[in-house]
Amino acid sequence: MELEARGLTVSANGAPLVEGLDLDVARGEVLVVRGPSGGGKTRLLRRLAGLDPGTGGEVLLGGRPEGRWDPQSWRAEVCLALQGAPVLSGTPRDWWDAVRALATQRGRDGEDAEALASSWGVEEGIFDRPWSELSVGQRQRCQLAVVLSRRPRVLLLDEPTSALDPDAARAFERSMSGRTAVWVTHSAEQAARVADRVLELGA
Amino acid sequence: MSGAVDLAWWQLAVAGGLVFVAGGLSVALGLGIGRRLAIASTRTVVQLGILGAILAPLFEAELAWLVGLAALVMIGLASVEAVRRTGRRYRGVRRDAFFSLAVAGGSTALLATTVIVRVEPWWDPRYVIPILGMILGNGLTGISLGLEMCLEELDDGRERVEALLAMGATPREAARPVARKALRGGLVPILNSMSVVGLVTVPGMMTGQILGGTDPMLAARYQIMILFLIAGATALGTAGVVLLALRALFDPRGRLRLERLARRRAAG
Repeated sequence: MELEARGLTVSANGAPLVEGLDLDVARGEVLVVRGPSGGGKTRLLRRLAGLDPGTGGEVLLGGRPEGRWDPQSWRAEVCLALQGAPVLSGTPRDWWDAVRALATQRGRDGEDAEALASSWGVEEGIFDRPWSELSVGQRQRCQLAVVLSRRPRVLLLDEPTSALDPDAARAFERSMSGRTAVWVTHSAEQAARVADRVLELGA
Repeated sequence: MSGAVDLAWWQLAVAGGLVFVAGGLSVALGLGIGRRLAIASTRTVVQLGILGAILAPLFEAELAWLVGLAALVMIGLASVEAVRRTGRRYRGVRRDAFFSLAVAGGSTALLATTVIVRVEPWWDPRYVIPILGMILGNGLTGISLGLEMCLEELDDGRERVEALLAMGATPREAARPVARKALRGGLVPILNSMSVVGLVTVPGMMTGQILGGTDPMLAARYQIMILFLIAGATALGTAGVVLLALRALFDPRGRLRLERLARRRAAG
């Protein structure tokens, strides 16, 4: 198993939303997570990414528990694309440069984020415009492109195509083939297209 | 030194009459600041009266431990005031402000008395207390602004920080823009006052020295030293408090723990 969780508790403000959750994602597999709003899907991804502290259970990558990884390496390997494509500082290229610099320090190479983004219908020149001038859909694709370009071992996707038109969403789905992911989506059609397995939270 | 002309309490009362003019304006124009004006004026008289009453025996006693104690109380009051002005707090923020002000204010004041002015003894209260007071009074503005900006940037800009964390950045790397902005913000007031000093304002300490009979050129040199000391202490203190705040809000696994932040309306 690439990513495993055992007996995981996911809480919001101290109240447990999900208890005793087990999950497994094999290499190259997409696990789709579905469930009602406020059911802990985003919290689960943040917990897997090592951005939220856990109260119970453990997460393992390649059989090694999170606590035995240094936190930066863990997050570079189990990499979360933030929900809703927030407005970052500067331009997509600034962010890509910053992320690339992090990866280079650790001796990792990556893909061309700009080429990925343009394969999802992002027009030329968008990478050099400020985030604040971009539409949500443009931000979403630029951010996903940078995250994918790092080739993390596991991608954590939080409704990655929520602001994309159907063509762009399909193009993004095609780029995901062969990659390992935990993918939160509301769309049953998308789940049917991309999921190797589905995890229903709060079911 | 010829010394200043004596100023008796009854003479001050004449100056106090001006406050009544301001109070009258407040009533006439319905500004509604009469109460605050009365409280502020009373505080001015009481606080400075007490300060004068404390400083006189402190200067006479010439006891090193007493000077140290006075310095600690001053740093403590400055750190409480610096934190009082911020809209967000975390557990231990006062300790962090105290520590930053102590290191920044203490080291610059010591530099002034031991290396620059070279007074004998180096803890001579006539020099240490006023110099430290000037440094703390101005430094706390910078520290307070820097702290506020740091906490606000982390809180409102959480996603910008976490977007980098999620890509494997260390807290230091992810928070660098926050720290940079906070440090810059903390230094703005002293930079502004250094640029206009002498053009628009005759600074308070220089005014005091001139009234006390000091040669204006010497008074100017003292003022220049003080401004440099303040600039250094503000930079040091702001950097210190920002680093300590970041340390408090990231956990050992490099996670941003905003639940440790309490939001409140800043005091005026």
